[in-house]
Amino acid sequence: MRRAAVFVAVVTLAWVAWDTGADPVRFIRGLPWMFDFLRRMLPPDLRVLPQALAGALATVEIALLGTAVAAVLALPLGFLSARNVVPPGVFYPARTVLNFFRSVDTLVYALIFVAAVGLGPFPGVLAVIAYTTTSLAKLYSETIEGIDPGPVDAVMATGATRLQVLRFGVLPQVLPLFLSYVLYRLESNIRAATVLGFVGAGGIGFYLQTYLRLIDYPAASTVLLVTVAMVMVVDGLSSRLRDRLV
Amino acid sequence: MIDVAGLRVVLPPATVALDGVDLEIGAGEFVVILGRSGAGKTTFLRALNRLVEPTAGRVTIAGHAVTGAAAAELRVVRRHIGMVFQQFNLVRRASVLDNVLAGRLGYVAPLPSLLGRFPEPDRRLALECLEQVGLAHLAGRRADTLSGGEQQRAAIARALAQEPDVILADEPTASLDPGLASSIMDILRRINVDRGLTLVVSQHQLETALAYASRVIGFRRGRVVFDGPPSAVTPAVANALYADAPAA
Repeated sequence: MRRAAVFVAVVTLAWVAWDTGADPVRFIRGLPWMFDFLRRMLPPDLRVLPQALAGALATVEIALLGTAVAAVLALPLGFLSARNVVPPGVFYPARTVLNFFRSVDTLVYALIFVAAVGLGPFPGVLAVIAYTTTSLAKLYSETIEGIDPGPVDAVMATGATRLQVLRFGVLPQVLPLFLSYVLYRLESNIRAATVLGFVGAGGIGFYLQTYLRLIDYPAASTVLLVTVAMVMVVDGLSSRLRDRLV
Repeated sequence: MIDVAGLRVVLPPATVALDGVDLEIGAGEFVVILGRSGAGKTTFLRALNRLVEPTAGRVTIAGHAVTGAAAAELRVVRRHIGMVFQQFNLVRRASVLDNVLAGRLGYVAPLPSLLGRFPEPDRRLALECLEQVGLAHLAGRRADTLSGGEQQRAAIARALAQEPDVILADEPTASLDPGLASSIMDILRRINVDRGLTLVVSQHQLETALAYASRVIGFRRGRVVFDGPPSAVTPAVANALYADAPAA
């Protein structure tokens, strides 16, 4: 049984390697070109620093606004798709809808929203909202399903309404975890938003793509360095906040 | 005060937890329920406020029908019934005062309460209840920073904040050090004497039960097999309650 599984895995991977044209020799032959690419990026052209910083700011704004709106929109969805809150008749449709929308990535949403509302950061914000709402709702609902039922019983026993039970028995148990998920999503959304500019949805990705197309590698490397710095700063801040929460 | 007739609870898939219980408990009684684990003590208490849905039978508390009550009526009945749990069941991350204020939820206007706002008289009452269990100085602390005994006292304050007619306590001392058990039972007795509240407390500890009860009810396999004053609990009665062999 175990041998058969290993055999199937090896055969599958071998076939996949052949089908994708994965070739170590080709990779090694390409190495000099990568070094050439890196060499031409140096030194970074710091004259484009103002544009790069403006792009970085826009990216942070897209991620921040998108994540904040999604964090709120995901709340009702999260409760509606928690097995221990709603009857199966609500739970199953809600979960299915969540899984459907979550299977599409932010970048694909960005393409759709650029077509719908035009170029700029706004379709980027919409794209972040579309993906993050459903992915947070899934995390919320799983958290709600894992709560301690004791306090819920206790609040119910006082004669509280359904909403009061959620507010006083459930919410205090899950809110700190929710906030920590939101911060985690913010970190990933900053990274996701760096490429939104590639499809015209605003942010620093626009500059990276432009300079690469213009074959202005020193300028592109400045943009890349700013991107790395931005992601590291946000990750650092956010993980420090998260440590405090849990 | 509590009227139970033909109460039967079948837990899914097919466990008969209560098998026809008839009881009448008068106002001001301190009833202790005895029995092995699995005898139906917890199910009985939870069926009284319908945290467990009875399969058949009738429960009436303080003149209100519990069984058959629609959702809104049930909430009105429940606010007259305080409940204390073995695991305290406080919201661990919330403050002690917020936990006690939850006892007012059946009374206050729903909308402001959802925003966490409680009228001043309700806050005062919650603090008074904390004072009565000796915890007023810990009102602002997070519930999970309290010791087990303190948490159970906070839970009793939450029940008191309901201004109930009846308090149901499910093994309130089972999760505590033996030394603390009597302090919790003392508080319950004081509530019973000073406020004239009706108490129904389940206990697995025979000595504790006999020391505090005005009436002992013994459960076995979902039925009442003993009902009388503590003085009537002879060793033979106790043996029958706790014996391993299934009743023929």
